[in-house]
Amino acid sequence: MAWEYSEKTKKIFMDAVHGKPGTHLGEVENPDGMGEHGSIACGDSLRFTFRVKRDPEDPTKDVITEAKYLTFGCTSAIAASEALCVLIEKGGYTPIQALKIRNQDIVDFLEGLPEQKIHCSVMGAEALEAAVFDWAHKRGVDLPKLGIDAHEGGETEGRLVCKCFNVTEPYLRRKIQELKLHTIADITNAIKAGGACMTCHHAPGGLQDILNDMWGAPKAAAQEAPASVTAAANAPSPYQFSKRVEKVIEEYVQPMLKRDGGGLEVVDIKDKLIYCRLQGACKGCAGARQTLKGMVERVLREKVDESIRVIEL
Amino acid sequence: MSAIYADNNATTPVAPEVVEAMVPFFRDQFFNPSSMYEPARRVAAALAQARESIAASFGPIDPKEILFTSCATESNNSAIQGVARAVPKRKHIITTAVEHPAVLEVCREMGRHGCRVTYLGVDKDGSLDMGEFVRSLQKDTLLVSVMHANNETGVVFPVEELSRIAKETDPSIVFHTDATQSVGKLPIDLAGAFKHVDLLSFSGHKLNAPKGVGALFIRRGTPIRPFMIGGHQECGRRAGTENVPYIAGFAAAVELAAESRDSEEPRLRALRDRLEKGIEAKVPHVQVNGRGAVRLPNTLNVSCHYVEGEGMLYQLSDAGICASSGSACTSGSLEPSHVLTAMKIPFTAVHGSVRFSLGRYNTDEDVDRILEVFPKVVANLRRLSPYWDQEKDRPRADAPAVK
Repeated sequence: MAWEYSEKTKKIFMDAVHGKPGTHLGEVENPDGMGEHGSIACGDSLRFTFRVKRDPEDPTKDVITEAKYLTFGCTSAIAASEALCVLIEKGGYTPIQALKIRNQDIVDFLEGLPEQKIHCSVMGAEALEAAVFDWAHKRGVDLPKLGIDAHEGGETEGRLVCKCFNVTEPYLRRKIQELKLHTIADITNAIKAGGACMTCHHAPGGLQDILNDMWGAPKAAAQEAPASVTAAANAPSPYQFSKRVEKVIEEYVQPMLKRDGGGLEVVDIKDKLIYCRLQGACKGCAGARQTLKGMVERVLREKVDESIRVIEL
Repeated sequence: MSAIYADNNATTPVAPEVVEAMVPFFRDQFFNPSSMYEPARRVAAALAQARESIAASFGPIDPKEILFTSCATESNNSAIQGVARAVPKRKHIITTAVEHPAVLEVCREMGRHGCRVTYLGVDKDGSLDMGEFVRSLQKDTLLVSVMHANNETGVVFPVEELSRIAKETDPSIVFHTDATQSVGKLPIDLAGAFKHVDLLSFSGHKLNAPKGVGALFIRRGTPIRPFMIGGHQECGRRAGTENVPYIAGFAAAVELAAESRDSEEPRLRALRDRLEKGIEAKVPHVQVNGRGAVRLPNTLNVSCHYVEGEGMLYQLSDAGICASSGSACTSGSLEPSHVLTAMKIPFTAVHGSVRFSLGRYNTDEDVDRILEVFPKVVANLRRLSPYWDQEKDRPRADAPAVK
């Protein structure tokens, strides 16, 4: 997929990877706020830390003076992390004011992001939020009392809807509301949910059901074709037949092969077809195929069934 | 500094000899090969010559068994859908979990229309389990479609053995292989070791011909219904006026590859091996995907733990190096490569894969330059990875472990 990034996004990324002065990669030591979002298994993750200038009287007047990030992710994930730090430091915000930074602010700062990369900006906003909650906890600030929904634990608790990206129903509902997500594609672009195996799209209680519940059912929901069936292996040949084949191989074939330091493994039996593999000294021997076709097949035809065929693996 | 092109499994530059071979058919030899007058018959003769020349590179086969298409994707679609339509009684298809989407998605589509599909898995090296293949063969197995060489890892499947086992089990089973990555790189004798293969897809642009031309080998007697209908061309098996200039170029490219294969194969292998060893020596915590299996000589798929592929590609691109990745961010979906996922590459590495695929015009200097740039690219991203210990230059103690 070609890169459709803005010039600004590209420049921010290149400056960050080259560690240019003024960029924000790293970690604040003993941070006042630390927040993480994403995971390596999901393909991107961000650790965001900040330091505040503490107000001796009122912790809600603390001002963020330094912000840093460590990011595992693509070009836009790294650029979005850098953008987040710039926005925060430039603003001279208190942590509570910083909460007003939304993913759209990051997108605007980057002069746009491709649709499929919107989740990178959401990741930045999520990590910021988590870091502010961490700060509030450390500084004893009661966010709900200030009218801020701290929805702690909302991300990890509750029914798991998207198992690929570990997205729970409460988190989904909050994000659908906050980011005004109306379709499954909107959800996937913003928070990745439903972007991998897609089984949660139309499963009972899945993404479409949650969307219908929140916004009302669409007039005609598109029907997706059912997934193809993975066939089970063929039923084995009758038990007695297999047993007789094994017995003959044990009694007549193995002793002959053993004399030459080899052996025979029966891999499968289907009707009158015996699939085997030579082992030990016989393996890779030039006369091996001759041995199988000639000797093994002859003995089995003689002792078990005229129509047996041996297939070498 | 000119760009280094190391993405030859995606497409290849068109060889000057190929362009030469095409030009006359854009100029004075523009006629429709189906027309009756003398100049058109000369074009028809050139078309026949191209077909013979391509057929000859696969051993002594009948040129009529080569069908020209627009690309390997068309060849794969024609093969799979055409066989399914010709033998509606049989309902079971066997393929692998690591096929190119041009096979995988077509099989999934067949699965939505009444077929049962078995997707064979692979082990950590990307190899198939022959026992699993045998167990998957069923009474109504219609088609086995297994690629020859994998586009992402270069892992080569034993198509000779698989097709023999399928045919010895039941001669009515049709065997198809997508050989897009191996034609021109590996010897394929359709009258010898590959005599049990019924259908074989390949395209021009992976071997220095232009995009827009492909072929499907159809062994005589194979039950297959045409995909493109509405003309007598290609003996009624693929309607549409033949793309004569591209077919002429395709034939020139196949000839070129066949002539130079004995020298190119060891040359590419040496370049690839030096690149592989160099990266392993210079970059800590890397793994070569598919190394335990037989591989194409030109392909290197390497995963760097705890970094993401797209950021590597972007920096490589900035340094003038073209490569590709199986990372989720480059796939257009949010899932990392289905091939690496099927190989159960550890999740710390699956997003950090880079594929270098070399070709006819790569040199020793190209490998030197990649070896100079790539370690820095990885180090740059590790410097800002939350999973990397900057002081000790190794994964952090609390990073998810490599399994």
